[in-house]
Amino acid sequence: MVNRRYFPIAVVAVLAVVAVAGFGCDTDGGGDDEPFRIGVMESLTGPGETYGTVSNQAKQLAVDEINAAGGIDGRMIELIVEDSKCGAQDAITAYNKLTDVDGVKIILGTSCSGAMLGAAPLAEEDGVILFSGLATNPDIATAGDYIFRTSMSDAQLGVDTGNLLWADGIRNLATITESTDYAEGVRRTSVAQFEQRGGSIVAEERYASDVTDFRTQLTKLINANPDAIHLAAQSEFAGGTIVKQLRELGYDGPIYTEVVPIGATALEIAGDAATGVKAVTADLDPANNKAKEVLQSFREKYDYVTLAWYLGSAYDDVYITAECLKQTGDDQDADGFRDCLYDITWSGAIGNNYSFDEQGEVVGLSNVVVEVLPTGERTEDNQGYSVLGPAPLE
Amino acid sequence: MNGNATTASPSLFERGMLMLREKGDLELYANVFVIGWAVIFTLWQGVGFAVTLGTVFCIWAILSVSLNLVVGYTGLLSVGHIGFFGIGAYGMAILTSDTSYELLRTESIPQFGLPFFAALPICVLAAGVAAVVVGVVFNRFRDDIYVLVSFGFAIIAFNVFLSWRALTRGAYGIPDVQRPQIGSWVADGEIEFLALCVVFLLIVVGISWFLVSSSFGRVLKAIREDEQVAQVFGYQTTYYKLAIWVISAMMAGLAGGLLGSFTTFVDPNSFILLESMLLVSIVILGGLASIRGSLLGALAFVLLEEGMRFITYLPSEFIGQVRQVVLGVMLVLLMLFRPQGLAGRYKL
Repeated sequence: MVNRRYFPIAVVAVLAVVAVAGFGCDTDGGGDDEPFRIGVMESLTGPGETYGTVSNQAKQLAVDEINAAGGIDGRMIELIVEDSKCGAQDAITAYNKLTDVDGVKIILGTSCSGAMLGAAPLAEEDGVILFSGLATNPDIATAGDYIFRTSMSDAQLGVDTGNLLWADGIRNLATITESTDYAEGVRRTSVAQFEQRGGSIVAEERYASDVTDFRTQLTKLINANPDAIHLAAQSEFAGGTIVKQLRELGYDGPIYTEVVPIGATALEIAGDAATGVKAVTADLDPANNKAKEVLQSFREKYDYVTLAWYLGSAYDDVYITAECLKQTGDDQDADGFRDCLYDITWSGAIGNNYSFDEQGEVVGLSNVVVEVLPTGERTEDNQGYSVLGPAPLE
Repeated sequence: MNGNATTASPSLFERGMLMLREKGDLELYANVFVIGWAVIFTLWQGVGFAVTLGTVFCIWAILSVSLNLVVGYTGLLSVGHIGFFGIGAYGMAILTSDTSYELLRTESIPQFGLPFFAALPICVLAAGVAAVVVGVVFNRFRDDIYVLVSFGFAIIAFNVFLSWRALTRGAYGIPDVQRPQIGSWVADGEIEFLALCVVFLLIVVGISWFLVSSSFGRVLKAIREDEQVAQVFGYQTTYYKLAIWVISAMMAGLAGGLLGSFTTFVDPNSFILLESMLLVSIVILGGLASIRGSLLGALAFVLLEEGMRFITYLPSEFIGQVRQVVLGVMLVLLMLFRPQGLAGRYKL
């Protein structure tokens, strides 16, 4: 019988097995026939697992396509994937593993803003590229010179909403907003853009997240006789209930909102009252053939499709990376890669002719405008709405 | 003939093991070997990576030692320790952050602009004050109910971090948390920060060792074994439990302050209930009522988790999940074959 006092030694043995794999890591590279080594940091476990997994799979799909087509001037791309778990601490260990052990200088990711903001100061100090397709926190805009993203900042949603309202001929707007950071942010940026275009706010109301009866506040908004009502919500229950109660109170004017009140739960609560509601959200443009191709390829490879826009964004990131590697010819040349990103104009799954500004923020992309379908036409595939097209840029 | 065989001198290995046993605790040598191996392994991988793991180890070791004072020495199974960790981290972020991005901020969080060394004691005190408030209530409960109320505290703490937007910026988190600075010297390098964490870890270990070795520590162990008997002997066990609870929470607040400064970004995702469960696992893995065990547990956990990054030839689609499953299986095996933990003296 094994003496249990020797157990710590058994632990050492187990760890040693892990070490053998680690000692065998190949950190060399850079030869003419060596693959380009690119790091990937995604939230493969933890709170952002769904986003991270889809993003990782989309990147792998793009890499497989590029390699199958002969690579970049004959050189393949190799992804080294690390789990950043949607947290700053894990992002830092993943980052240090990628840069210090694997020696990569270009990292695609992360899918979570918290992980991105944890690793960004290190990347900026080390001169390592962090290139995300999913992180949307506005603070990332000022994270540094080596930090880029094709995902749109949450602030962009408000700009697109303001432009849409103006383009639809709305001049007098009433707003109702949930008292949360996200919803308040959407309202603030939407109203700022709308007012900049020349619109006026005729009434505004706010509600706490646990309220269920909005009739008094909604009556005030309706009495102000607005051209449209804008709803910013963080809870689908409240969002759906507000739409339903607006129609019950006899309001038949347009309602504008964002992604939350057109979620499955909200649409179920609102029922037919939601028909015709317009929302600004990140989704692929159905008129974009590249987007269709990517979705089809993804479905063929993984047998499902979800988070279509984010999937497309992660996919585009790999092709942009491939283009810049073609120009620099060196996966260790982060400065050259950075300059390439600043100069590049790209057309892919998430849009045409987009580029990056001096903060590394994507420009030339917009969210899309969707309109909720009648209840009889809502299916799982169309998610209850039809995409009308990109949000107006001006 | 047989007599010769049985009286044959022991082999070199047997003599070595015999000598080690005679000279002291075999486990101690094994532990030293583990630590030595860990250092070699991480340094081999890369100095920067080793330093990062060293820092993560120090922070989690402080947490682990602090929780062991409550769980291992006093017998109060708390799963809410992550709340105090979060208070420390948010304290550091709020007191030192100098973030100026206003576009989406609906309420201006107060900006104090304190340096790290001024903010850290406040983080520790804030965790202590919160522990007094919580501890007075918790002292009314025991055993299973204690686990449940501490579970409730972890959930409340997370939701406060998420919802008190005027102070925490909610889900957006707080960036630009400051690194330690003395005069013109800034510990922005990873090695300097590791050195600082080691110093704080040594202080925490020193205090803990002193506490558990003193008469105070013996009363804690008596409470763990049978609180009523301790009361019969005239000890006001309520005060002892509250005292160790507050001390433990202050240590967790210290660890949180270090984490906030280390990551320079704090958001609620770092303080979810799962992290609390991992912390309890580390304490049990290392060994209850053993400070050395807590250090070993934190080291083994960090190495196991981060060591999984070096398992190669896994399909990238499943790499994260497979690593977590392997980690889980190893923890289950450890508990099967070593229920008292790597260096434990007491079982739950």
